[in-house]
Amino acid sequence: MNHNAWLAALTGELRRHGVGPDLTGHVVAEAATHLTESGEHPLRVFGPPDAYARAVADSLGGPDRRPPHRRPGPVRLAAQGITKRYRGRTVLDRVDLTVRAGEIAAVVGANGSGKSTFLRICAGLVSPDAGTVRVHGALGYCPQDGGTAEFLDADEHFALVGGGRGLTRDTARRAGRAGAAALDWSPPAGTQARHLSGGTRQKLNLVLARLGEPEVLLLDEPYQGFDRGTYLDFWHEVWRWRDAGKAIVVVTHLLNQLDRVDLVLDLTTPRERAA
Amino acid sequence: MTRTLVVAETALRELVRRRSVLVILLLLPLAFYLSRRGDHLGQSIRFVCLGVGWALSTAALFAGSAARGIEPRLRLSGYRSLHLVLGRLLALWTVGVGLSVPYFVLILVDQRDVRYGAIALIMALMVAVAAPFGLLLSAVLPRELEGTLVLLTVVGLQMVMDPADTASRALPFWFSREIGTYAIDHTDGGYLTRGLTQGIAFAVVLTLLVVAASAVRLRQRRHLRFVGA
Repeated sequence: MNHNAWLAALTGELRRHGVGPDLTGHVVAEAATHLTESGEHPLRVFGPPDAYARAVADSLGGPDRRPPHRRPGPVRLAAQGITKRYRGRTVLDRVDLTVRAGEIAAVVGANGSGKSTFLRICAGLVSPDAGTVRVHGALGYCPQDGGTAEFLDADEHFALVGGGRGLTRDTARRAGRAGAAALDWSPPAGTQARHLSGGTRQKLNLVLARLGEPEVLLLDEPYQGFDRGTYLDFWHEVWRWRDAGKAIVVVTHLLNQLDRVDLVLDLTTPRERAA
Repeated sequence: MTRTLVVAETALRELVRRRSVLVILLLLPLAFYLSRRGDHLGQSIRFVCLGVGWALSTAALFAGSAARGIEPRLRLSGYRSLHLVLGRLLALWTVGVGLSVPYFVLILVDQRDVRYGAIALIMALMVAVAAPFGLLLSAVLPRELEGTLVLLTVVGLQMVMDPADTASRALPFWFSREIGTYAIDHTDGGYLTRGLTQGIAFAVVLTLLVVAASAVRLRQRRHLRFVGA
């Protein structure tokens, strides 16, 4: 592992350990200076990147869990009175959700509570029995599965989806590869989607949802198959998108991140709660 | 137009990468041709044209079914349903031309005393009709097995029904038998006119139906309103 690779790995690990971007930049710059001046191998001086990042995070007293102070922007997504019945059973009953620019809304609930259905209604892929959805701006949607073409590689996906957003092939490819790098993934050229692992395919799915910088992002449990590191990268990316003024709706059943979102829409019915 | 071409290019890439499927599709009309090559040269021409139609319809059926997963995302990404349908049709028509040309050359080399121009016309119409026919099946029958069975039924009926029977005109590839008779048996121009009319009518109607089916399936739902997009 050369200096640059070690420093890149350290950057990722610091982020995964909850170290903020300013401090990460500072720590990495200090390490880079030391390595340049000493000419020593980073593994001998600092050890493996993950261990060093853990040590840095521990010295700070753990990751910063405080939500940053922000002022919410204009309304980007307004779902009102969404009702959906399947075969006589009411899955969604007059559900409301308003998400502003710079906010993350988590949609939670038990299996079968209608989380994905609600998101598909917001995306306009399913019609509700009642209710309306207003979206201010463009919409990016990441489905729980599917959403990719088996015989296309990542760059071709970027070109195809980017083409719809009005991006040129090169711009779409650059944007796609930058999004992939943020998830610690470098798409191999020529590898078709059918040959990607489930987690990697979900990374592709997530990057595609972000292409063209849509104002509203609807993410349906997009971390299926992610390893722990990628899962943390995913949340850091989501927080970064929020800080960039995006309105994000994430369907999730993992409650440990709810303290870092702005809104929680719990679709668990009172009867399910009582049970 | 650019969006349509992007879809066409990617759809073509996808089709070309299914190499084993392509080989089978390429060989299917040959099997049809050889089945009557020994005893009835004229019939082998009719069969090879039907084989091209069947192969291309099947390719279109599977391509349409495979695209169902990504099309909602593409629609949300800014494509209209028309871009998606026309792009896919362009790709399939290109594959159809690539599939037909070797068989037309085979007929040129292997057959004598037939009207080659009329045979080229059959193949062109076959490509024009078979692609939207397969896509339409994939649009109305989401499961590939059901679509394949319908295709099998249509081609089977096309082969066994008497072309003179009025009911057989309702089959999408009837024109190939009619123009085939004109090309092989040197009958009067009425066969050509009737076949041409039916072929063009089916190509236009099937294409319109595919466009309409796609527009309905990928429509923007009424509950969703984009403001300032």
